[in-house]
Amino acid sequence: MRKYSYLVALSLFLAVPAVVSGYWLRVLTSALMYAVLAQSVNIISGYAGCPALGNVVFFGVGAYSAGVLMTALKLPFVPALLLSGLIGAAYAAVVGLPILRTKGHYFVMATIGLNDATRELVNNLDSVTQGTRGIALPLPHTGPLDILTFFYLVMLTLLVVVVIATHWIDRSRLGYALKAIKSDEAAARAVGIDTTVCKVFAWAVSAFFTALAGAVFAYWMTFIEPHVVFDIVMSVKMFIMLSLGGAGTVIGPTIGALLLELLSEVVWGQFPQVHYLVLGIVLVAVVLLLPEGVAVLIKERPSLAVYRQKLQAGRL
Amino acid sequence: MHLQEIVNALLLAGIYACVGMGFSLVYGVMNIVNLAHGAMVMLGAYVCFWGFSLIGLDPFVSLLLSGLLMFALGYLAQKYVVNNVIRSDILRSLLVTYGLEMIILGGVLLAWGANYRAVTPSYFGAGFAIGSAVVPYLKAGVVVMAVALTVALYLFMGRTQTGMAIKAAALNREAAELVGIDIRHIYSVSMGVGCALAGMAGSLVAASYTITPSMEGSYLSSAFVVAILGGLGNTMGAIVGGAALALAETLGAVYLGMSYQKLLGFVIFLLVLVLRPYGLVGRRFYAEI
Repeated sequence: MRKYSYLVALSLFLAVPAVVSGYWLRVLTSALMYAVLAQSVNIISGYAGCPALGNVVFFGVGAYSAGVLMTALKLPFVPALLLSGLIGAAYAAVVGLPILRTKGHYFVMATIGLNDATRELVNNLDSVTQGTRGIALPLPHTGPLDILTFFYLVMLTLLVVVVIATHWIDRSRLGYALKAIKSDEAAARAVGIDTTVCKVFAWAVSAFFTALAGAVFAYWMTFIEPHVVFDIVMSVKMFIMLSLGGAGTVIGPTIGALLLELLSEVVWGQFPQVHYLVLGIVLVAVVLLLPEGVAVLIKERPSLAVYRQKLQAGRL
Repeated sequence: MHLQEIVNALLLAGIYACVGMGFSLVYGVMNIVNLAHGAMVMLGAYVCFWGFSLIGLDPFVSLLLSGLLMFALGYLAQKYVVNNVIRSDILRSLLVTYGLEMIILGGVLLAWGANYRAVTPSYFGAGFAIGSAVVPYLKAGVVVMAVALTVALYLFMGRTQTGMAIKAAALNREAAELVGIDIRHIYSVSMGVGCALAGMAGSLVAASYTITPSMEGSYLSSAFVVAILGGLGNTMGAIVGGAALALAETLGAVYLGMSYQKLLGFVIFLLVLVLRPYGLVGRRFYAEI
């Protein structure tokens, strides 16, 4: 039953470019990109329970890798894309070894610090990254497809791959190890799980997909700047989507991302000056009212009493 | 290193210490990383700016006003929002404070716009000389106020009933409840005091530099760095953290150039976080490692 609903959803998404075009295709592409980002952060934060609030750093690394590879080294899009993903994963593995030793709030601040430090580094490495002036990428060659459809399909493919990867992780030994780490790291270590390896691997996978999304974003926008691709608000949006859809579920983050992006487009997209204000209010409301996201509501159909109990659990 | 740089570092250290103290207090008492702290600093700066441009209020007088307003804001935010998620996953308290930060930032952008603003009282630019260094009165006043705030916080925490109740709640929540401390109230007061410190630090910022809404991000990261260097949760350690960060940034600007100043701060932060998570002067007690 579940398998069929996934297939139906996928074919609906594949049919979209034939029906809508222009503005709404752009909006949907952006929603799909956020779905990829939310799914990626789900792997490290939803499954392994490490709140990587600075995860946007890999988006920036991916975007800048693609930018440098495609302009300075003149690589075509596909190899540049794959290399950018690998660079993001390698970066996560290298910084993850020391940073993943920290826990809880320390980890949160370390990831935010990592994002700030990396952004400053990109700002300063003028000879490679062109600093604060940003990088202009070559114009997209999209073959027979028009630009909008091309990027829509690329993002959709990326989303399908990351959902399949999450599905696999969910059922694998790694997934069980990550869930064990989330509920009690010391206990997980005691039963023989190599917690460091598992966490570093999960973060590298998360960074790989985040960096891929960043690389596609760079090629799509054809111009990137440090303060745009290392923007912490992007990270926060990933976490709103994660909470809205349900952290640690296979498809929850995608539901959350589509909900938030489409909602924001319809409800307050026309008033950019109140964007921050409304997003902040939505964030507070989601956290206060939806303790476990909407995916859980669909899956378990809990009663009002259970919902009340869950709300009460967090109160002082 | 020139005398002028030492004077500048001292000024920066005072502001950083005030920013870090409130952040560390909130973390130490409630185990909350307040992501709205930078926005509170920014709002305090704008209260100072508004007081000055509307009724010509001196920045050192409006300091008290922004302290009071931020106390009220922090108290209400804790009582009606943060207290509701404090016992669940840390991600929820983080997100809720970030939501508050976005609401404040959005509100300030609506009210004052994104332009740079400055507070320029009549004695702006005037100063006295120590040797070869020039010390503007405004900046000297900022350092004095920073020291006064530190002393005031120290006395409040050590000598008043409320301060001691806050300390008790920080050490052991259940035990504090058993001896009759109203924990919801004390948590709200702690958040209020933390935010008041942020607001007053913001007034000091407005008296020293030009201000703009996007400054909240950089003051949030300085709060992180200062609090981590001083030992997260160790309120008085924030003075050491503030001094260390200010010195590193000033020295960095002299020897590596202005553009590497921020990067240096973050690199020191990450190193301390990984190698000495309990801070430069802290004890292991404070860290959740």
